[in-house]
Amino acid sequence: DEILRSLAGPPSPPGQDPHGWRVPVDCVRANELCAAEPSCSSRYRTLRQCLAGRDRNTMLANKECQAALEVLQESPLYDCRCKRGMKKELQCLQIYWSIHLGLTEGEEFYEASPYEPVTSRLSDIFRHASIVSGMDPATNSKSNHCLDAAKACNLNDNCKRLRSGYISTCSKEISASEHCNRRKCHKALRQFFDRVPSEYTYRLLFCSCKDHACAERRRQTIVPSCSYEDKEKPNCLDLRNTCRMDHLCRSRLADFHANCQASFQSLTSCPGDNYQACLGSYAGLIGFDMTPNYVDASTTSITISPWCSCKGSGNLEEECEKFLRDFTENPCLRNAIQAFGNGTDVNLSPKNPSPPVTVPPKTEKSPALPDDINDSNTMYDTSIITTCTSIQEHGAKLNKSTEQSLCYSETQLTTDIMPDQKTFVDQKAGGSRQRGCRILPLVPILLLTLGL
Amino acid sequence: SRRKRARARHKPCALKELEVSVSELGLGYESDETVLFRYCSGTCEAAVRSYDLSLKSMRSRRKIKKEKIRARPCCRPLAYDDDVSFLDAYNRYYTVNELSAKECGCV
Repeated sequence: DEILRSLAGPPSPPGQDPHGWRVPVDCVRANELCAAEPSCSSRYRTLRQCLAGRDRNTMLANKECQAALEVLQESPLYDCRCKRGMKKELQCLQIYWSIHLGLTEGEEFYEASPYEPVTSRLSDIFRHASIVSGMDPATNSKSNHCLDAAKACNLNDNCKRLRSGYISTCSKEISASEHCNRRKCHKALRQFFDRVPSEYTYRLLFCSCKDHACAERRRQTIVPSCSYEDKEKPNCLDLRNTCRMDHLCRSRLADFHANCQASFQSLTSCPGDNYQACLGSYAGLIGFDMTPNYVDASTTSITISPWCSCKGSGNLEEECEKFLRDFTENPCLRNAIQAFGNGTDVNLSPKNPSPPVTVPPKTEKSPALPDDINDSNTMYDTSIITTCTSIQEHGAKLNKSTEQSLCYSETQLTTDIMPDQKTFVDQKAGGSRQRGCRILPLVPILLLTLGL
Repeated sequence: SRRKRARARHKPCALKELEVSVSELGLGYESDETVLFRYCSGTCEAAVRSYDLSLKSMRSRRKIKKEKIRARPCCRPLAYDDDVSFLDAYNRYYTVNELSAKECGCV
């Protein structure tokens, strides 16, 4: 409480105006500021009571509720936002929606994103992609960019660990009737996409392909048999309703719509020509009810869709088709994926990185690495998936020797069993590979942002 | 001798790594995916104990004859790395555990 008071009190932290108002803060902070101000906190409590179980019109008919809403529009709660993968993300989104559900008409086709706009780190990532694809000698001869992406991930300890985490969870059969634990699979996928830097995750997800094997590997990235496909295909509007019941899914979907909505005013068809924001919002949907994926392993045309159809839409068929087309026939999304795969970025990075609707100007760069530590239920099932063949082959070789033991004299080990290894060893030894070295520099920034 | 020359070039027991394809692991999986294989390599001369010397002596005095014994410490993994998952050539996912060493020591 002392901290809260000091935050809201007169000696305001740097970057705030004297009252702490009207400066975009995240909703958790805004809630703290509001709680420290008696008038704000009482109005906020009133509004939450007003909203509980009532629709917007009945609520606004009540004078007290209307007054509460008006007062809160002057508070930092009104235009607070959240960050993807932030600490207490769910709490932040709950606060956001508790106000915004009362402000909007509800049941709108597109909702404003509760997330802060992504400042364009895109050039970095695109440049990285092009450098990697240009430098790796293997890519030129037998190019399978998706295989290269898997290699890059496997050689990074953090990426490898979280990738194996979701793969083993999602491909673990529970019983004859239950193919896998979808809930755990989704959670492991969210952890992967939240905690692994996008230069690894995007490469896996958006690699460009020239042949079927590559495109199938790309389609398989999220283990669709568990995370995507289902026995039945629900109606897309029903699926949207399910998604909107969940604050996280609702937010991610709103963010996708804000950042990937086809725009005819820009060269790229993307809002603010910001490919990065669109790809990020797309990846942000993975691991929720609205999980999108490639519908097939086609190399020529990229078609994305959530697992739903417009069958049984009744008189809402048009709305359903419109909703589905934002995935299946979305030039912004398609261009963004293709541009990333080719390592080409329109050199048109937005001067003012504020593409989505109603976004306040940013004050701080959001760190690329999330800090969702609260969410860390370990789910790396240490399930042993048996190795296909035996050790007999090796055993035979070992048996040649006189001293029969699995570990053997160093000289013979290198000469007998691993004849061609010696040459590699000296060059590649020493573990100097880049092991999640991106994480460390970010930590101070993160602490700073959270500590403020 | 050959052994002495060979050993002279060897460093103390430590973790080393190789980039190999899953197929090359020889476990029967068919996959072009590359994984990092970490293994233990090096000598354990400094780790020789009275136990090893005495055991050797027992053997040379033929007090131990037919048993399989090892009178020398051996460079082996003390801990193994996390699971490794990969997609094989038939688009099936597999997870292998205890594939790669994480820490080495003379045991």
